[in-house]
Formats: sequence, structure tokens, C-alpha cells
Amino acid sequence: MEKPKVENRSVLDFADPHVDELLKHSIRTQLESLLKAKLTTAQRQQLLQKSFVDAMALVLSDSKVEHKTLVKAFSAMYDNAVQSMALAQLSEKLLTKQYVSASGLIMSPYHCKHTIKDIYRIQGYARGVDKAIQSKLSHTDSITILYPACGPFAPLLLPLLSYYKDSQKYTKEQLQVILVDVHPGAVLALKQLVKDLQLDEFILRIEEADATTYVPEQSIDLLVLEAMQHGFTKEGQLSIAKHLVQFLTIEGLIIPQNVSVRGMMVIGENEFNQQWKEVEYSHSLNMDASAQQDRVELGEILSINKSTLLNMQTLELQEGIKVIPANQITLPAGIEDMDKRILAIYAQIDTFAEEGVGQYDSGITHPRPDMSFYIDTKPRDVEHSHFVANSGDSVQFYYQLSGLPGFVPVKV
Amino acid sequence: MQKYAVFTGSCQSLTAIQYLHQSGQLACVVLVDAQPTPDLMQLQHWLQQSGIKTLAYNLSDDKDLLSQLDSLAVNRGLIYLFRHKVRPALIQYFSGHLVNIHPSPLPDYRGPFPLYWQLRNGEDKTKLTLHQVTELLDCGDIATDLEIEIHPFDTISCVQYKVAQALPELVAKYCQLDEKQGITWHKQGETSDKTAPQVAQQQLIVNWHKQTSKQVVNMARAGNADAGCALFQFRQEMFQLLQASVVESPLIGVQAGTVIEVDRHTGLVIKTINGALRLDVIGTQQGIFDGYRFAVLFGLEAGFTLMPENN
Repeated sequence: MEKPKVENRSVLDFADPHVDELLKHSIRTQLESLLKAKLTTAQRQQLLQKSFVDAMALVLSDSKVEHKTLVKAFSAMYDNAVQSMALAQLSEKLLTKQYVSASGLIMSPYHCKHTIKDIYRIQGYARGVDKAIQSKLSHTDSITILYPACGPFAPLLLPLLSYYKDSQKYTKEQLQVILVDVHPGAVLALKQLVKDLQLDEFILRIEEADATTYVPEQSIDLLVLEAMQHGFTKEGQLSIAKHLVQFLTIEGLIIPQNVSVRGMMVIGENEFNQQWKEVEYSHSLNMDASAQQDRVELGEILSINKSTLLNMQTLELQEGIKVIPANQITLPAGIEDMDKRILAIYAQIDTFAEEGVGQYDSGITHPRPDMSFYIDTKPRDVEHSHFVANSGDSVQFYYQLSGLPGFVPVKV
Repeated sequence: MQKYAVFTGSCQSLTAIQYLHQSGQLACVVLVDAQPTPDLMQLQHWLQQSGIKTLAYNLSDDKDLLSQLDSLAVNRGLIYLFRHKVRPALIQYFSGHLVNIHPSPLPDYRGPFPLYWQLRNGEDKTKLTLHQVTELLDCGDIATDLEIEIHPFDTISCVQYKVAQALPELVAKYCQLDEKQGITWHKQGETSDKTAPQVAQQQLIVNWHKQTSKQVVNMARAGNADAGCALFQFRQEMFQLLQASVVESPLIGVQAGTVIEVDRHTGLVIKTINGALRLDVIGTQQGIFDGYRFAVLFGLEAGFTLMPENN
């Protein structure tokens, strides 16, 4: 009788994933290094976990960390995360599917994967979430955290959980996390990453669901949410928050605790070009004083926090379009060059307890120019999408809850 | 005995020429006076191979041509895809026996691009109309016609092929009527709202603010693959839209021209004023792609808009 073949697992158990061609092309450097190293699964997972822990140790540190040190740490985290994604063996269809849903843009895992490199977004959230957890656990033994629209890497929580596990700061008895995403590809990648990070003990469940209709089985103590693009547009942050706020415990917190969306009239060249010519990277700390002085602030257009969400009224317009009335502002008079200025809308994100994401710290807080908003001037060919007003006019802003949410100004 | 001169500049008239040649009624083919195109060169080559006499049309004068026609005893003239307006002397030479074939149900779609505009307007059938040549273009009395179905997937090339296939039947019908002296000339209606003018460059660019899904679909097939190809703009570049399909979309409040889906199976889907549209086949300088591959290669993502001012 022939002797059965026994695989030598210690030799063959290195990662040689069957990766979709598109992903292979996109992350070829990471794959090459993965294959070249011929790591065992355990070794690869160890490197992945270490990269997550190292990045969090840096962002949670109270001492100043050099930008390049952060870049290096976050690049390592990204490289290891995409290696994990490769092992999830997503089909091309799941990898690239992206669409506009009724409440916002759903990005593909292929495009989402870069968010884990967004240093200051993750820093602002991680530090805020860390403080919020600390605050909650000072009053109670355990908390349930919900992270909807978390994407394939859940970058605002998984690195933090890795850090907690490594440092034994919190236990699975203290923290239970629900991860939700509507994209089946993101959910597959997420499951692989949670497995590779060996964080299953912290994860109550991973759900494939639309966050704007998702009903959690238990009350939520902490809702961690980041589903927006610059100018508070395109993604469903507001719809998701507005729906899920009802499932928060009475003491429950939303991270970010407040998002203040503001408008300003700027000279595009100064704001978006000149002030960044001499700096290494765009960040609120690197903003140019003269460019800031050159701005004409219009004030807050919308504030999103637990209180405003609970009190938010939705109006339904013709054709079923839903809008939320935002603030009314008066366009300042006496600005000589108003006709040369463009509207830019930006979000100031306060995650928790003085922590946040400032202007230009991240793509999501980058001021968004609105080229359809004209003050004291008119476009050459007026289209229905153009807004034309004069200095001194009052403008009522509405927030449209459509597939691509955004602000709509109306002259009062 | 009827002796025909066929006036043409395109291989699309070959089936009519072949019919007349095989039935012994063809005297010659009068070719357009124009820069040689591949189509014209192919026609010339075929005529030469078949031993068919060709005459050249002279843009400035008819005398030579009339003399040659006379020497060949030509007494019937058939015009199809001839790019010149014939002069009165030539019309007089044929004494009412110079006819033109126009691919539309005249008086609808008078003008140089009848098939293009019929496809673009979503017509589901057309007619090959044989009418007398007069000094007013496409306005002469009608001798006979032939109906042709247009399939919803037909492109301009498909319809041109169908028309070419139907030509011999129409010409045979006319010849037989002529032989029996049984032609009854019918007057055309004076005017029609449907015309077939030259297509301006601006008319080839998809206007997402104004065009419905169906209109863009028809525009794409009307120009596939021809000089009148439908175009759309992304960033600063123009791309050819060769095929598109109507798809349903329940989305509201999303601006027409916005990419609402990129998916390997459902393709590249764009919001329109009355629903949505899948861009099936796109022509670029780098090659021809389906919508999905085009989106991936050219970085077109959900939420992007194809309206020029926002890119």
C-alpha cells in the first residue's frame, strides 16, 4: 500500500495567494515582498500586527512625532493590510464594484484601501476614540462599539484594537465591536484582516448591511463614523448618523462628537496653490497665515452632533428628494474682490475631547471649491445648477440627502 | 432598350450596379469628382475588374459628360450616394428619366444625412424612395419605394447594409415599371419637420442635461462607426460612445451625467435626466473598451461627473 503523502506544513505554509490581476497590479510591491520573504502565516500575521501596533503607539503618544516617522509607520501598516486583502481572494467583481446608493457613494475595496494611509484622519479619530473609550469605561464595565461603513480595513478601530490587545490596555470583556459595511468585498477583506490580526475576541460580529437601515441587536455606547468626503459631500455620513443615533444609549457617544461644516469665499490661487508651494505636506499646522487672512469666512453652515441629529427635520421636495434645512448666512458686503472669489466648504471634525481632524489634515477636511456659486458676477452661460447672488444677500443652505449628498444654496 | 448610367461615389451602390450590369442595362458608371477615399478607390477597382466603363464627373462643366453619355446611348440615369448636385443640363439630357434613390420616406429626412438622423430619432423603419431628379434636392415626384425595417440594435452600418441589399429589388421594380411604361409619378408632400442636415460637431457631443437615455442610445448607434460618432467629455478629453443601453435607476437627486456605478458585470452606468444609461462600448485613442474597463483604465469612478465644468 502506498504511503499517503503528508504535506510538510511548516515548509508550505507561506503566503502564495491567488490574487486578482487588478489587485496584483496595484499592490505588486507588497506582493513581491510577501512572496520573496516566504513567511509562514504566523510570521506574516506577526508583522501585520506589529505594524498596526507601532502606528498606534506613535499616534497615541503625547510627544511630538516627526511626519516622516508617521509616514513610514503608516506605509508599513498599509503594506501589511493589502497583503492581508490579497489573501481574502476577492474576485475582480467584488474588488472593483462601486456605486451611488440612495444615500451616498459606496466605494470599491480597490479604492478604499488607501484610507489606511491617511495619517492625520486616523490619528484624530484614534486619539478621540481612545479617550472616549477611556471615558466610557470609567463609568461602566463594558461597552459596545458600532463602526458602520467601516470599509475593508476598518482603519479607525482595528489598529486601535491591535494596540489594546498588545498592550493589554483593554480586554474583550470590556470592548465589543460591531463592524458593518454594505460592500460584500469589503466584508470579505475585513474578515480576513480581523483573522490575521487575531482580533476575533473583540469583534461581536461583522455584518454586511446598509448602515442607513441597519438595526443593531443591542444598544450602542459608542458610534464611530467616518463616511464623508471633502466639503461634507458624496458619502452618507449624515444619513447613517441620523439613522443610528436612535440606537445609542442615553449616555452614548458619537465619534466625531461634532462636525462643523463652514463656508468661506477664497481666491482659489491663494488658497489652493500658493499657500502650499513651500511646505512639505498639507496640514492645518502648515497653513499660511496670509492665506488665512485673505479668506472671507461665511460662518457655520451645518453642525452635526448627537443633539442636532436628534432634532434634525427632513423636508421632502418634489420628486421625493429629501433635504435638511441648514443655516442661513448673509453674504458680507463691501468685499472689493468678491466677484473673483469662489465658495469653499470645509469640515472641522472634533472627534472627542480636544482631539480632531483639522483643515487640510486629511482629504475629508480639505476645503472643497464649489465652482457653481457666483457672487457679484455671473457665469458666461447660466445653467440651472448655477447659484448667482450679490453681496449682502441672505442665503439659506439645505443639505440634500440624495445618492450624492451635498449642500444646495437658495437665495432668501 | 434602357441604357443606364449610374452616378455614384460609394461601394454601397454596388448591388444596384451589379443588377443593372447583369440584366444588360448598364452602360456606364459616372464617378464623383473628389479626393479618392478608400471607399471610392475600392469602387473604382471593382468596376475596373468587372470591365464596367466609368466616366468622370466634371465639377465645372457637363459638356464632355453629355457627349460621352450620348455616344454610349445612355437614356436612363440613376443617382445614389453621389455627392454633387447635378446641373440643369444633365437633368434635361435625361428628359425626366434621371432618378435618385434617397433612403428615407420622403418628404421626411431630406438632406445629406438621412440614415443618420432616422437612427438618431429612433425611427423603427425607413423607405428607399426612388424619385425624379429636379433642381430642388430630394423634392422630385416619386416613382416607387421600398420599406426597410430598422432593428433597435441597428447601427448606421447595419442600416447602410440593409439598404444596399434592398437596392436591386427597388431598381428592378422601377425598371420593370419603366419597361411596361407603367410608372405613376406621385407628388411629395411639400414640407416635413424631420430633416437630415449636415451634423455639426457640437451636435455629436452628448448633452447630459438635455438628452434622455434613449436619445443617447440612438445617438451612439447612429454614429457607430462613422464620422458622426457620438462623443462625451471626461476631464479635457473626448471619447467616442459607440454603444450604450438604457438601464433603470431609482436614484433621485443625482445630477445627470454622474457615474452611478462601475461594476464588472453591470458595467459603467451614468445617470441621465430620465433614468440611467450603460456605456457599453467606448472608443479611445488607446483602443476600444467596454465601459467597465474604460472606467478602470481611465480612472472614472462612481460619483464623478461627465459634465465638463466639474471635472
